[in-house]
Amino acid sequence: MRETLLINTFVELTDVLVDDFDVVDLLTQLAGRCVEVLDVDAAGIMLASADGELRVVASSSEAMRTLELFELQASEGPCFECYNTGEPTANIQLTDIGQPWPQFSPRAVAAGFLSVTALPMRLRGRTIGALNLFRSNLGDLGDQDLVAAQAFADVATIGILQHRAVEEAHTVNDQLTSALNSRIMVEQAKGMVAERTGLDMGAAFNRLRNHARRRNLLLSDLARHVVAGEVGPDSSMWSRSDPHRDEGARRDDHGHRRAVGRLRSRSRCLA
Amino acid sequence: MTAGQRTLAIQARFTDNVSSLDSQRMCEICADVAQVSGAGIMMMSGDIQRGSLCTTNKVSARIEELQFSLSEGPCLDAFHQDRPVLEPDLAHPADVRWMAFSGAALDAGVRSIFGFPIHVGPVKLGALNLYNDAPGPLTPQQHADCLVLADVVARSVILMQAHATPGQLAKEFEAGGEFELVIHQACGMVAVQLGVGVAQALIRMQAHAFGNDESLRAVARSVVDRSLRFDPPTTVTTSEDR
Repeated sequence: MRETLLINTFVELTDVLVDDFDVVDLLTQLAGRCVEVLDVDAAGIMLASADGELRVVASSSEAMRTLELFELQASEGPCFECYNTGEPTANIQLTDIGQPWPQFSPRAVAAGFLSVTALPMRLRGRTIGALNLFRSNLGDLGDQDLVAAQAFADVATIGILQHRAVEEAHTVNDQLTSALNSRIMVEQAKGMVAERTGLDMGAAFNRLRNHARRRNLLLSDLARHVVAGEVGPDSSMWSRSDPHRDEGARRDDHGHRRAVGRLRSRSRCLA
Repeated sequence: MTAGQRTLAIQARFTDNVSSLDSQRMCEICADVAQVSGAGIMMMSGDIQRGSLCTTNKVSARIEELQFSLSEGPCLDAFHQDRPVLEPDLAHPADVRWMAFSGAALDAGVRSIFGFPIHVGPVKLGALNLYNDAPGPLTPQQHADCLVLADVVARSVILMQAHATPGQLAKEFEAGGEFELVIHQACGMVAVQLGVGVAQALIRMQAHAFGNDESLRAVARSVVDRSLRFDPPTTVTTSEDR
């Protein structure tokens, strides 16, 4: 029976890894399963955010959630300790005289929890959070339960890290696409300027850059407007000769362009 | 050597001198590890080919250019179908595909060609282009290595771009990249000549290249040096370009 429950839990946890999944859903499910499968009465998961601060992500009950939030406020407790050491904080009896958390323990006992365990969510030396397992009775969580719980935490960790890697790849790929696209549009805009003005590509680029600079536009934004046909026929962009301006643009430098970038305003007149 | 050790050994090739890992070196490692005549890394964005991060030789460059010009070929298929596309004998293929690409690739000296998609999970980046100057399939070991290569290339591309100035391409991509800039410049010129958008200008240039048996790049060069113009029809009877 218990084996079936364990297997089902692993199947559930790995199922969500195949498709797009929501991290909070996954961890809420995990917390619920811990209570069903293991000899514990409440479970919760904390994850570190990008700045390294722990956050409560999922709890099997409201009492658990309140206690975990208190743990973060007080900066002490099993999850906190486990995350900071990267090691399990197993089977601490909160009514023991030597219990290590003067603020957390009385609060936990008042909430009905007497024995606590926290397991690291860790992959190759990197700890991303911790799984909290609380019992209403005194006494240790058995070895088999500890092994199973750590395995749950490991599977969830892999899922979360994979999810993050994919999200990061999405973001970077969007940036890559946008960098490639703006570069292509600058070339297309150069071609349009070159055709209308008779300038060569180098001079056409200077004309564009200078035009962007005078109007506090990013070169890539201006290029997009040009390619979309949004720069009117009377614009100075198309004037056949303006050697002084094109010469001036050639002396432009990167520092100035960055300054222009900071000042950009799309609402400025394009013409 | 186990599969795991082999994977680590391939990854080590990319990381043993990280400071000098540019896209050109990535391509060279790919050709070397896969034991093929040449390699290239084709970049896609959306469904559009955006150019080539690197190629190891002229034939590899030609393979990428042909696919760019003709909008067909094994790398485009690999990207779109999200699986390896293998043609062990381009001269005598089991099923005939790439009507325009195959002949031109054979002329360039390609005898077998293999495209592998480059992606990180569901994020699709492009395709790895590998060819041999002799016919024959990849061995199972080569095939397995190519899958690892495509994976490592995908991660390396993401890592390099992650450190780039926002809005710009990673500088590592500049070394051996071919982004067909002259084609885009010509697109802008032809768009003005015909009074159409750049997308339609590209189609007109592709049609001209195909009809005159020229490469798209050659047509684009002629446009940019102003020896070729695309003029709209002078009569009012055809107004499709307007």
